[in-house]
Amino acid sequence: MLSRVAASFYWLSRYIERSDGILRMLKINYASSQDSVQGFSWEPVIRIFSGPDQELINRLKNDSRAVLKYLVIDKENANSILNIITLARENARSVQEHIPKDLWQCLNEYYHTVKEPRIAAGLKKDDPISILDVLIKQVMLYYGTAEITMERGQTRSFMNIGKYLERAIQSIDILDVKYGSINDNPNLLTDITYWKHLLQSIGGYELYQKTYRNGLEAENVIEQVVLNNDFPRSVIYSINNIQRYFDRLKNNSNVNDYREISFHIGKLQSNIKYSSVKSIGQVGLHQFLTHTKDDLYKIGSSLNEYYFANS
Amino acid sequence: MHSSQHFERYNLLNGVWDEMYAKNHLIRGHYQKVIDYLSQESPEDLSRKEELAKRLFMTQGITFTVYNSGEGIEKIFPFDIIPRIITAEEWAFIERGIKQRLTALNLFLKDIYHNQFIIKDGVVPIDIVYSCPHFLREMYQLNVPYDVYVHIAGIDLIRDYDGTFYVLEDNLRTPSGVSYMLENREITKRLFPDLLPNCNVRSVTEYPSILYKNLMSLSPRQMSNPTIVLLSPGIYNSAYFEHTTLARLMGVELVEGRDLVVNNHTVYMKTTTGLQQVDVIYRRVDDDFLDPLVFNPNSVLGVAGLMGAYRKGNVAIVNAIGNGVADDKATYIYVPDMIKYYLNEEPILKNVPTHRLSNADDREYVFKNINKMVIKKTNESGGYGMLMGHAASDEEINKYKQEILKDPRSFIAQPTISLSSAPCYIGGELQPRRIDLRPYALCGPDGIEIVPGGLTRVALTEGSLVVNSSQGGGSKDTWVLNPTTDQ
Repeated sequence: MLSRVAASFYWLSRYIERSDGILRMLKINYASSQDSVQGFSWEPVIRIFSGPDQELINRLKNDSRAVLKYLVIDKENANSILNIITLARENARSVQEHIPKDLWQCLNEYYHTVKEPRIAAGLKKDDPISILDVLIKQVMLYYGTAEITMERGQTRSFMNIGKYLERAIQSIDILDVKYGSINDNPNLLTDITYWKHLLQSIGGYELYQKTYRNGLEAENVIEQVVLNNDFPRSVIYSINNIQRYFDRLKNNSNVNDYREISFHIGKLQSNIKYSSVKSIGQVGLHQFLTHTKDDLYKIGSSLNEYYFANS
Repeated sequence: MHSSQHFERYNLLNGVWDEMYAKNHLIRGHYQKVIDYLSQESPEDLSRKEELAKRLFMTQGITFTVYNSGEGIEKIFPFDIIPRIITAEEWAFIERGIKQRLTALNLFLKDIYHNQFIIKDGVVPIDIVYSCPHFLREMYQLNVPYDVYVHIAGIDLIRDYDGTFYVLEDNLRTPSGVSYMLENREITKRLFPDLLPNCNVRSVTEYPSILYKNLMSLSPRQMSNPTIVLLSPGIYNSAYFEHTTLARLMGVELVEGRDLVVNNHTVYMKTTTGLQQVDVIYRRVDDDFLDPLVFNPNSVLGVAGLMGAYRKGNVAIVNAIGNGVADDKATYIYVPDMIKYYLNEEPILKNVPTHRLSNADDREYVFKNINKMVIKKTNESGGYGMLMGHAASDEEINKYKQEILKDPRSFIAQPTISLSSAPCYIGGELQPRRIDLRPYALCGPDGIEIVPGGLTRVALTEGSLVVNSSQGGGSKDTWVLNPTTDQ
């Protein structure tokens, strides 16, 4: 398949996954902002999805509506849902003849939905959760449609590699930023709602309760988000899937290119697989997460070089 | 019955051939079934259908993007829900005429790039050919597979006040719009359930498979599965939707210049597994941008070395390079002579009488009668650079005259033709609007095939004679009826 086509599928998929992550984060954090007695801060969320611009953070952090507007429909924000979906759609458009028509229509509808005036109006004055749900449903439609219409071949492999790479990076970012906040406010370490919201924002609260029955503890949260094989948003689950879908490219690859990347992925996978909460603690969580993220980026840039012909 | 609502107020234009009505509100037989159908629909019903059509175009992404102040605004190509109907008899005539015309034009291209008998015999003046910027020396003595130069043609037809068909323009380079022919039909199926089979309308769905068959037959490597690609300038091109549609319908790879590379006079595409040889390129990139080593050196839309691979016969290019010399508006004047010269036949389809402004007598005549003339630049398309004499101010006319005098070769003049009208659903009622017709002809080693239909373009603005989409025109589904059901 064309290198450019492979790259477009990979990026399309990353953008969709990112939009899903942003929407779910916003939903839970908005709920949480309505819950907290003392002033709720959006700082970690803005940091994850828009970077460390302190001026921006200060301007937005205590204003839920402004954050929602900024992260969902702001044209100036390169990482707003609107811009991300536009990019996803441009990628899809450039490979339209490879995408099942149903899937293209899904994406197209997602794009047109974000642009509907009711979205902006709703974020401004109605119940934002209803609005975010409308958009989250669009992503789910997309995933469902992809699942049942995409041919089981190289395209799907590139899509899934992109999806899980993005997901792993997001879970790491969320964990890292949330833990970072504890340095500023040590009380959070024992604040149950804080952990509950973290887990909810990545859809892991129910699983946590089933797995650990003795209340919310920071160490258990780390274990679930990094090391739980059954948690679909855990780092290890995502990396296992990257490995799995990359493996399927083997027969359609140049042997040396394949080996090079396969080596990176395998090393990263083992590194996580043979870690424990304890060993992570020894390295330091932030260190560990930063290293893992660097390795993920390295996989991304090797794909770029060897498979997408952009060296 | 709501019949009266739609049709009693339909005001025929004076002195204009209407596709639906003969005079005195006498309905032409082939429109009867559609009219019976529409009569049962209230204006609200029709408006709902109009809405549905818009929504379908939008959700399916059948749009083109207008880039304005850095922001892309997506628009749908305006679609009128009322079909335009062509009888089997009219179609048979059109088909014969186009085949004849294309056969001659194709022979002309071969001749012009080889022996140039037509020039030597004084049928086409030498200066017309040599002064044409689209006449490419690079094509001289170059043989193309099966001597086919024009693989895909869009011939623009209009009808005058008495219903006579005229050829307005031959499009022999990268004619576009065929995807709208296909999509308009799909939308019509959704809007008017059962109407198409009841009216016995011929299908247009064969187009992509005929095109694919032709492309495949051109492959220099005789193999069962040659690599065929559609070369597009990319997603910012206004016809990008069409490029993806065709690639999808044919199952061929849609590529951009940056996906291709030429090595040792062979074209390859860059894939995840390395380089893969390309055999046939259906290019939707203009000649000038195809190969920076030979043509425009600044172009990034094409591939360096492509012309060399083409010359060696290692890759087939569709349409052939250099076709512009045959659809130049100054060459157009000589097409009837070409038909007589190469085929020894009388032209079936007429040309619009055309004056060359480089000819002093013609020029004098045109300037005297400028109010009855349309003046066009020979090398512009899409309705750009035209002067409509009847609608222009004195100042505009004078300015245009100055321009003509500076470079008379680049202009032609034609009498204003009163394009035929067809009913359109506008503002909740049927109104006549001017139309033209672009059927698409496909030429391969086995001859010329024309899918029964085409793109009917509509001048949606009241009183306008310009149907080009770039000038605010729209389109209609175009029905060609089966012979058996003709009334």
